[in-house]
Amino acid sequence: MTGRLLLTLCAVAFAVAPRAATAQTAALPRLADGKPDLSGIWQAATTANWNIQAHPAEKDVPAGLGIVEGDEIPYHPWAAAQKRQNQANRAAADPETKCHLPGVPRIMYMPYPFQIFQTPNHIAMLFEYVHAVRRVFMDSPHPDGEIEWWMGDSRGRWDGDTLVVDVVHFTDRTWFDRAGNFHSEALHVVERYAPIGAHHIQYEATIEDPKVFARPWTISFPLYRRMEKGIRVLEYECYAFGLEHTWYRPPE
Amino acid sequence: MADQRGRAALLVVGATAVALWCAAAAAAGGQAPSGAAPAYTPPRTSDGQPDIQGIYNPIGTFYNIQDLEFQSLYQDFTPNPAGRGRSLIVDPPDGKIPYQPWAAEKVKPIYAQHADPTPQYLDPNARCFPQGVPRHLNNREFEIFQPRGHVVVLNMAHHTYRVIPLDGSPHVPDDIKLWMGDSRGRWDGNALVVDVGNLNDQTWFDVMASFHSDAMRVTERFTPVSADTIEYRAVITDPKVYTRPWTLALRFQRNTEYGAELYEEACFEANERALENMLRRPGR
Repeated sequence: MTGRLLLTLCAVAFAVAPRAATAQTAALPRLADGKPDLSGIWQAATTANWNIQAHPAEKDVPAGLGIVEGDEIPYHPWAAAQKRQNQANRAAADPETKCHLPGVPRIMYMPYPFQIFQTPNHIAMLFEYVHAVRRVFMDSPHPDGEIEWWMGDSRGRWDGDTLVVDVVHFTDRTWFDRAGNFHSEALHVVERYAPIGAHHIQYEATIEDPKVFARPWTISFPLYRRMEKGIRVLEYECYAFGLEHTWYRPPE
Repeated sequence: MADQRGRAALLVVGATAVALWCAAAAAAGGQAPSGAAPAYTPPRTSDGQPDIQGIYNPIGTFYNIQDLEFQSLYQDFTPNPAGRGRSLIVDPPDGKIPYQPWAAEKVKPIYAQHADPTPQYLDPNARCFPQGVPRHLNNREFEIFQPRGHVVVLNMAHHTYRVIPLDGSPHVPDDIKLWMGDSRGRWDGNALVVDVGNLNDQTWFDVMASFHSDAMRVTERFTPVSADTIEYRAVITDPKVYTRPWTLALRFQRNTEYGAELYEEACFEANERALENMLRRPGR
């Protein structure tokens, strides 16, 4: 319900999407070092958090065309079965229902805003959802070792005016959506943030995970600048809600 | 028995995954900053802010801001009479939080069982809730960076953050209450002055139940006194809970151990089952 409300609000509040790919790169805001300035408060307006693939409407779930290129996810046969099982058990099994950090790329299309701060050395993405944080360190290597982070380890570089972010070191405990789409800890995400004007970024991510998928696949959607006067990233502390009458937080 | 209680205390605080600094550093942190005008002038960022960027640790105590002896109890389970009575509170002069009588009563049962609390009295920090202001600065390593027009503070613990705009804009409406508050900053010479409003009533100042209401306002002053040291003062105002404003003082020391990066610390994700096991253990 709240999600749908948010979505409606988003439709009203966001900048109007560009009519065509008339990329006005000259008009891009830039930092002193000449790189596009991605600073600001952004949000996706897709239904991908319910299902990254095309899906009809259900009660409290808006229909959507999905964000997967070709609408097909090339699961290995065992993984396709696992996905169906995840979907059947999603009410209990979706990590989002446990308020866990949602991982990458899911955090990028959850229905909450996030703020980008940019310096020449690093880009920080600070999310309203559970205070999730992504640090994108520029032109530096991933740390070595068997690291499993919920949000992965992000390293960035500029390809012309496009920010390219390589993300590894994931856990196998995050999903892509509420429909049970999943991955292993071998997930490797390559994101491309291509500004298409001052108020829009075309986001694209290539998903690679040889344990789960037969080949890499791609998602894409626009990020919209939140334009409301005085807009701020607030808080959604998922795990602090509704705990008053559980063992975890009984009344005083 | 004492050992058991000590272990329980370790579990509780360990859930907040607190790093230990040496007792000497803790004692030093209890001294009030000199207050003398700092001679140090930091370099400037590209937008002209005094540059205080870096990773810092608080020097002081996180366990009981009113009495450093609890710090040594926590660290080695032995009392340290030399620490008795030292406090991070520099005003009022007795170093105690000036609770109204009802508030002092409310704290007593929590205080009495802090080392082995029943679930309803467990430190919110041990539940991995956001630490709030000023506690997030008196816990573990944090990073300050200064993108144009802002100061941003990132905590490794609980991956909480504060965005402090410097644009003089008003706070968000009063009805919005936030774990980490709503911060607005300005530079007063080389000192960063931050007004924090919109705080909720769910956070404590330390492990010992020190609390506030959602009427709390915090006025902070970050004063760089050397290339590696920041003096910090927070004036706490909350007419629902205290008889007068009070002031907490800390020092932050630059930490070079982590290189340039803080790592992810997924507190809630890692902590949930550990807490359940502890709180529901046989005999409780």
